[in-house]
Amino acid sequence: MSPQPQAAVGAPLSRVDGRLKVTGKALYAAEHEVEGSVHAVIVDANIGRGRVTSIDSAAAEALPGVVKVLHHRNAPKLPYRDNAGSNNPPGRRLRVFQDDRVRFHGQPVAVVVATTLEAAQHGASLVKVGYDAEQPSTDLTEAEPDEPTRYARGDAEAALRSAPVRLDLTYRTARNHHNPMEPHATIARWDGDQLTVWDKTQWVVGTQTELAAVFGLETDAVRVISPFVGGGFGTALRCWPHVVVAALAARETKRPVKLVLSRKQMYLGTGFRPSYEYRLRLGSDRRGRLAAAVHELDAETSSYETFTESVLAAGQMLYSMPNVTQRYRTVPLDLPTPLYMRGPGFQTASFVIESAMDELAHKLGVDPIELRRRNEPNEDESSGLPFSTRRLRECYAVGAREFGWDRRDPRPRATREGHWLIGRGMAAGVYDTARMPAQARARLDADGTALVEAAATDMGPGTYTSQTQVAADALGLTVRSVTFRLGDSLYPPTPPHGGSMTMASVGSATLDACNRVRRQAIELAVGDRESPLYGVGVDDVVVRNGRLHVKNDPTRGETYRRLLARNDRTHLAADGSFAPPSGPERHSFYGYNATFAEVAVDASLGLVRVRRVLGVYDAGRIISPKLADSQALGGMVGGIGTALLEHTVTDHRDGRIVNANLADYLVPVNADIPDLKAIYLDGEDREADPLGVKGLGELVMIGVAPAIANAVFNATGRRVRELPITAEALL
Amino acid sequence: MSTELPELAAPPPTGAGGSSPAPTRRTFIATSTVVGGAVVAGSVVGGTSLIGGEEAAAAERPPSSRVSLTVNGTRRSLTVDNRTSLLDLLREHLGLTGSKKGCNAGACGACTVLVDGHRVNACLTLAVRLEGAEVTTIEGLAEGEQLHPLQQAFIDEDAFQCGYCTPGQIVSGVGCIQEGHTGSPEEIREWMSGNICRCGCYVKIVRAVRQTAGRK
Repeated sequence: MSPQPQAAVGAPLSRVDGRLKVTGKALYAAEHEVEGSVHAVIVDANIGRGRVTSIDSAAAEALPGVVKVLHHRNAPKLPYRDNAGSNNPPGRRLRVFQDDRVRFHGQPVAVVVATTLEAAQHGASLVKVGYDAEQPSTDLTEAEPDEPTRYARGDAEAALRSAPVRLDLTYRTARNHHNPMEPHATIARWDGDQLTVWDKTQWVVGTQTELAAVFGLETDAVRVISPFVGGGFGTALRCWPHVVVAALAARETKRPVKLVLSRKQMYLGTGFRPSYEYRLRLGSDRRGRLAAAVHELDAETSSYETFTESVLAAGQMLYSMPNVTQRYRTVPLDLPTPLYMRGPGFQTASFVIESAMDELAHKLGVDPIELRRRNEPNEDESSGLPFSTRRLRECYAVGAREFGWDRRDPRPRATREGHWLIGRGMAAGVYDTARMPAQARARLDADGTALVEAAATDMGPGTYTSQTQVAADALGLTVRSVTFRLGDSLYPPTPPHGGSMTMASVGSATLDACNRVRRQAIELAVGDRESPLYGVGVDDVVVRNGRLHVKNDPTRGETYRRLLARNDRTHLAADGSFAPPSGPERHSFYGYNATFAEVAVDASLGLVRVRRVLGVYDAGRIISPKLADSQALGGMVGGIGTALLEHTVTDHRDGRIVNANLADYLVPVNADIPDLKAIYLDGEDREADPLGVKGLGELVMIGVAPAIANAVFNATGRRVRELPITAEALL
Repeated sequence: MSTELPELAAPPPTGAGGSSPAPTRRTFIATSTVVGGAVVAGSVVGGTSLIGGEEAAAAERPPSSRVSLTVNGTRRSLTVDNRTSLLDLLREHLGLTGSKKGCNAGACGACTVLVDGHRVNACLTLAVRLEGAEVTTIEGLAEGEQLHPLQQAFIDEDAFQCGYCTPGQIVSGVGCIQEGHTGSPEEIREWMSGNICRCGCYVKIVRAVRQTAGRK
């Protein structure tokens, strides 16, 4: 940790970009003013599988304002080079307008470019596309799976056969769409062979490399700008085909092109959390000590790419047991490719495992928390590594106390308030602590202010604010004196803004860059005969509020401004970086939570209302407590959506999504959200990264859905093994 | 882009007539129809033409109408494509991108603005129907550097994350307070449920609205 005093880190500051956001001046992708922009609207395939046999664009082209209609018959062939290191899953990515194949309902088959949005929209409705339609395959339970991924330790089948207590449970989880409030949008402009895009992306570097690969350009020939992202939850971790459509349309029309997806199009090819069928068999002794688990999972993927996520790890390390077998199969379907959605993999696994643990607790008559305590491992049994930090027992203890767990009646259907059945449930949550190499640069100016830059993203958690806090303390400046810039591929490269790794990765790079600048200033001072700090040891100088002074003698020192002015320096600057230690890991890194929920279920209608949720988190150090609280509450809201509302419905007859809008795909609204409370355990993880953080964004959502499902069981005695839990399932 | 705010000729409607009834979709459409009925279709004389570039002018013009309305205190006389929604007028033609397009179907509330003091979904409102209307967007709430109390409360309570639904939430909150639907957290939740926040900041949105209503 830094020798610097920590004034900003850990302080409950308001967002540094708050004023821009509450006044409507924060600019999202479609809002950048790019002179001469025209509008593009994509035409979606109206069949679920087959070929395009004809395209009649005459009516669209005759419309006043329409500039061009592009499709596979008139679009140029694009290089589509491989893009190693991208978020493109194995397979052959969708190549826009390169062939006549329709691989899923809603695939882009044409784009209309026009001088006004109205003309482009109208034009898109006039393009007549003829098809040779085939029967699509979109049902997870009907299609042929791929070869499985397997994991095994011990002999789980044999251990199950001899276990005194056995459960055999099959769960199903619905397909969920990220549905950030801001739709995907891209403005693309070519200046000769240089491409600039203003894009909704969680990874400017990823979009840059993908566009370079698709168009056969040098990476430097593409610049991606994305200062504000109106929510992501994973959907913007990949450069999707519509971004290529915008860039292609701009190149072909020689005009800057603005392309904004409709809400419906947000369901047609910008990723989703795949639906799973998940069978879990558990064996334990009569006290609940787990002996074996057999996991068999089938998950959706597309016909052209194989999307997998971290859905196996939790089953290997959350609880102690000698025997585990896992079989994970993707099932190729005529759907667009899925993509990571908040808490990817762990969210699904946690729902299944934590529901099953609740079933086991009920079967044995053991308290659910006590059952989990009895199966708490001493090390990560999948790797044999010690946990860097694992404070799950503390999460249980704090959570039980704060929630009033001892007042819960364990008998199902035992607590009533009028016609409401009241239930309480809990679940554990786990998410791995990801870190990836990142860079940042810092510059301290002669006026005593600093500028820090990294190609990072802020989709809402508060990257601007938390990075500013880290930088301010490392430089010994007030938060007001520091500006942090992000969202531009010209800045030093960073990993994707996902998997809860931004704070650990970018934050550590920011810390490094600022530490280097501070050290430069200190070295300048202690070597400067005119400085009051002349001759002092470098490690004995700290900086506070822009003033360097001897650690144990605050009166002896001077400001950055004086130091730089006297030495004729306009600025000091340094590049910083972070990389996780190379070589084999020496620890197992995860964040943990215990989540508690109370629900009321209408006894005759089956309506479920969440009354309160409490989350207790072992997430390492909390840089920005006010924002971390918001993130946790938001994760709970997301979890409530997954548990009770969210379900993308496909009509298997033609592969069409029937609820591709925000009126029929239900997400929580204000009236659905009760009292929510988040508690972060004090502490840090010294092994994980220089900041001691373990990541928040995913962890805070995991555990919510199973806690609610377990509360619904406690309320009603009905065990619903399918998400979302609907009123129909409880009638 | 610099969104230069026009000078406020008239203050935004903040709480003056707290008893005005909430507009239901039906009363809103009825009102708009009456207003829109006065519009003379097809006039392209005078004012600003917003119906496309040179290409459009050269070809046959799309059906368009003249409309005069006040946006954040500034009177505007425009000729607009009849298909243009108030939201697209604000975002694509007037450079007021604070009002957001989340669903373009009236389901999310990100485009909420005040029309004659009532909150409406700008995406469902045709611009040509707004003859004589007073429109207040998020850009019209602050008085110079002085934020509207609800804007400040959103910052203080951290009632947003990504910020994309925030302008709609704040304008809707101003409407909710004016309507007097702030008697309890439950009432605020109900009357703020037309504005989706996918980041899930509802608890803090309710706090911000309640705190601001209590100040009045």
